[in-house]
Amino acid sequence: MDLKEFHEKKIEDIIDEKHVWDLPLIDKNASIEEVLSVLTARDHVWVVEEKGSRKLCGVITESDVLHLIAPPRLPKYVFGRKYGISLQHGTARKAEDIMHRQLIKCTLNDKIGDVLRRMVNAGLRRLPVVENDEIVGEVTVHYLLQILLGKR
Amino acid sequence: MLLEIGIALILAKLAGHAMEKIKQPAVIGEILAGIIMGPFIFGELFGLEYLSDVTEGLASIGIIFLLFISGLEIGIDELKSVGKNGFITSMFDVSIAFLFGYLAGVLLGYDLRVSIAIGNILVATSVGITVRTLMEMHALHTKVGELILTVAVLDDVLGIIVLSITLGHGAPLLLFTKIAIFFIIILLILMVIEKVKDIKLHIPRFILTASIAFSLIFAAFAKSLGLAAITGSFFAGLIFSKFPQRRKMIEFMRQVGENFFIPLFFVWVGASFDFNALEEIGNLVLLFIPMALIGKIIGCSMGAKVCGLKARDALAVGIGMMPRMEVALVVVTTEITMGIFSEDLAHQVLASTILLVIISSFITPILLKAVYKGKEETK
Repeated sequence: MDLKEFHEKKIEDIIDEKHVWDLPLIDKNASIEEVLSVLTARDHVWVVEEKGSRKLCGVITESDVLHLIAPPRLPKYVFGRKYGISLQHGTARKAEDIMHRQLIKCTLNDKIGDVLRRMVNAGLRRLPVVENDEIVGEVTVHYLLQILLGKR
Repeated sequence: MLLEIGIALILAKLAGHAMEKIKQPAVIGEILAGIIMGPFIFGELFGLEYLSDVTEGLASIGIIFLLFISGLEIGIDELKSVGKNGFITSMFDVSIAFLFGYLAGVLLGYDLRVSIAIGNILVATSVGITVRTLMEMHALHTKVGELILTVAVLDDVLGIIVLSITLGHGAPLLLFTKIAIFFIIILLILMVIEKVKDIKLHIPRFILTASIAFSLIFAAFAKSLGLAAITGSFFAGLIFSKFPQRRKMIEFMRQVGENFFIPLFFVWVGASFDFNALEEIGNLVLLFIPMALIGKIIGCSMGAKVCGLKARDALAVGIGMMPRMEVALVVVTTEITMGIFSEDLAHQVLASTILLVIISSFITPILLKAVYKGKEETK
């Protein structure tokens, strides 16, 4: 596929139903063990308000868990409570304790080129597709590659 | 000047690392590096002149970045989840710590404004050393650990607010109006951010440049209202914590700040340490440091007890909240810049605060472990 043509495509043109059903979701009150269990198979999990809901409130990625399972290391200047959140010391209990609340998102109407630019700028490998605060899909580098190479 | 700054950065890094090796905060190492760089050691030995307008300017930017990062890391959303116990303990903590500092000033015969300024220095806690100690003791997940982490979040915010209220310029009514204007503008900006935070700008990494720019603009804005510049940069950080790029901003600001501007601030603090002030410092230190430590123990322990903690746990919260570090040094430097102290007194208060930082950092782990040891023995 021509890359320029690829960039002009809209997200709604590439999201399929199967992909949406396969989204890694967990509710914010899920235990840390459940979160880790999901992450044994996926490299991220989207956090929603409650079970069965699609209202997106956070994300937990492999890199967050990497910090969680590594020996704790405090930065030079410590502020707030986030540096006290630790698996080893029992202060990370629920998904909401470790999730990132501020999310960079995209919508079904966005063009792939704009979404890629956003991912590059923010150093992210995945973005949630959100409509009315609800997650309706996700765009990952893997998924975009599959689209680009015509494997989907 | 370039030579001095270069040497200072290397010394600060090495001394900071050495301190971390003995489980003490890097900040103490950076201050010690400053003392070495200052007029009494390297100044005397090699003729280096570290204290200048340039290094003072760099240190001022360091302060602004430090407070901006603090606001960014504390975050508005996290503040909302502080809860009743955290709020009650913080109120006891801040009011009693401030009162003890104020009383120290009054007992030493200082005027109202100086006494208030001393009270302000004692408000903000630095829990880095406490978190490290609680981790070592596997006590971070206990009620004590949880409460300390929560109170530490509010502590800095309340400390900055107290500073703005007590040391702002102008008559009380005018000052109140200025503070009200400042917070109304903050609220308006927050409302605007809710609307625009997802707007996509096609300027690469604009938000990173904007974070530096607005930390400076807000500092200037607060200053123009007669408030402290740090109030502006701290609240700018809180505001920017609403942006989805928060994590990226924290990484970026920490890289820029931690590796250049902020160590230069602590080096500057150390270099400003006047050994001559030690001759005159006796009464101040004898009252200032004990009041600083006891004020936190009483304030936080009372708050924790009111929230239902057992007496020994409440005492542990009080001890855990004793350390003073970054924000206390920022506050004292700000007050010196505002001209609140006479020149001699400024040197004495700065030296006393540096001693407080070092002493509180060294004794907190010892006392905290002693309280927990006593607790285990009584089981």
